[in-house]
Amino acid sequence: MPNRARLVVWTIVNLEFWDIARPMARQVLPAPTGQVLLPDVPNWAWHEYGMRVGVWRFFELFARLAIRPTLSINARVCEEYERVARAARDAGWEFMGHAWEQMPIHNVEDQFAMINQSLGMLERFTGTRPVGWLGPGLTQTEDTPDLLAAAGVRYIGDWVYDDEPTEIRTAHGPLVTLPYSVELNDIPMMLVQHHESAYFTQRCIDTFERLYREGAERAKIMAIAIHPYISGQPHRMKYLETVYDHVNRYAGVLHWNGAEILDWYMAARGNR
Amino acid sequence: MLPTERLDFSAIAHRPKLALPDGARLAVWVIVNVEEWDPAQPMPRTVLTPPAGGAPMPDIPNWAWHEYGNRVGFWRMLEAIDEHRIRAVLAVNGSAIGRYEPIARAALERGWEFIGHGFTQKSMQKVADERDDIRKTAAAIREFTGKNPRGWLGPGLTETWETPDLLVEEGYEYVCDWVLDDEPVLLGTRTKPIVGVPYTQECNDVAMMLIQHHKAEEYYDRAVDQFEQLYRDAAPRAAGPGGPSRGSARIMALVVHPYIMGAPHRLKYFRAALAHIRAYHDVLFWTGEQILDWYRAQRT
Repeated sequence: MPNRARLVVWTIVNLEFWDIARPMARQVLPAPTGQVLLPDVPNWAWHEYGMRVGVWRFFELFARLAIRPTLSINARVCEEYERVARAARDAGWEFMGHAWEQMPIHNVEDQFAMINQSLGMLERFTGTRPVGWLGPGLTQTEDTPDLLAAAGVRYIGDWVYDDEPTEIRTAHGPLVTLPYSVELNDIPMMLVQHHESAYFTQRCIDTFERLYREGAERAKIMAIAIHPYISGQPHRMKYLETVYDHVNRYAGVLHWNGAEILDWYMAARGNR
Repeated sequence: MLPTERLDFSAIAHRPKLALPDGARLAVWVIVNVEEWDPAQPMPRTVLTPPAGGAPMPDIPNWAWHEYGNRVGFWRMLEAIDEHRIRAVLAVNGSAIGRYEPIARAALERGWEFIGHGFTQKSMQKVADERDDIRKTAAAIREFTGKNPRGWLGPGLTETWETPDLLVEEGYEYVCDWVLDDEPVLLGTRTKPIVGVPYTQECNDVAMMLIQHHKAEEYYDRAVDQFEQLYRDAAPRAAGPGGPSRGSARIMALVVHPYIMGAPHRLKYFRAALAHIRAYHDVLFWTGEQILDWYRAQRT
């Protein structure tokens, strides 16, 4: 790694479109007696807060830190929340494909068309075709990697099985996996495991200290995955900020986005 | 057979005492569970639910989350176990021995004990032919280690009414599914009895992290609390009439899975728990078969 860096922090901000006409992707409040609500206004609004308010806290934080995260974005967000997508583009964030909207990829009728539609939208919006992809909720079918490679995608985040990039085989050549995270991820931590807000800092620092130590021998990647409707809440923001304050005190820590990690990995592989 | 037909109720306060060698109070055994999750089946556990629920197949994210344990987590765990000079017990799916051969080899080189943990990670109540599953698992272990497994842990501790009978008939000598005591017990079967060695759902990362959703640190806190109470329970003292029996040796199990405690943010709490207990001179780290042989000798 350049300058003998030991660890790359890969920050991923996830932006989603939740269709009010369908059941919500996640819920903070189940309806009384557990009935399925349609429309589910309270949970739609809870997510909407992230777009109206939470994400602007992220923009401010990452501008102050001079970090350009990867934006994992449902392509439809470019139309529905144009101002949010524009702010990310203007701040130089990397756009990563994250489907057209937020539903399991298994339920998409024509996956290849959806992948191309999504990548096309992001390409028109940013002027660059994305090289990365993350399935909605990391979902994949057996042929998703083949379809992604055919559409020109070069890395995916769905395979959270290592601390380093790896390569998997597809029908259209190799595809790189980057170590995204379901551990340092506010959905499993806050919405599934129901941890207290402060635990986000603790778990990130515990991970960092371990990987930083291991990174003395082989460089490691540490992904932090956040959503504006979760980590962008006023009571959670400071625990996210504390993570960056902590890791930035160490020498040999880089903040790269997915495309930068991919470029480094491809070059490092070539040198072996 | 009903559980109550396999063994009589017994109060720990009213039993003959067990004694460990050299006045040790406690034998601790560490069980590392290594599994193979079939990507073509629903995942045994999940960390992430899909958007808007349901259980779409295949489930790649949760498969990958588990696979991390065998690619990365196990090797971290091994360092901590080596550092504390512990021979652990590998509870292994029969199919995982070939799929993750480097893990099996690392365990074999260190003299760990291999125990059967189902041929695949599937409830024993869903396995088509239970005897065949138990037999295939023993064969996979025997082929790799040159030794028949003596112990068995059901996947998810699951049993049918018949499991202990089948285990004895297939040559197993102890079972871990019965977490009903701090000392080994004898379970009757339709042939000869099988020993139940105290395993744990309490100091077990599946229950603590995936079901109860505790912070990683709770693994350490609970292991130390568990240890201190058992250590006190086993303290030598005169037993009063009808009072609790003190001074009888106890068994403590510590259970880990590479995909859970092997995560970078959790490993240090497992390591610290081992370090805490290792500092006691009257505590043994044993394998399951050492506990088995000792218990049999004590009871004859």
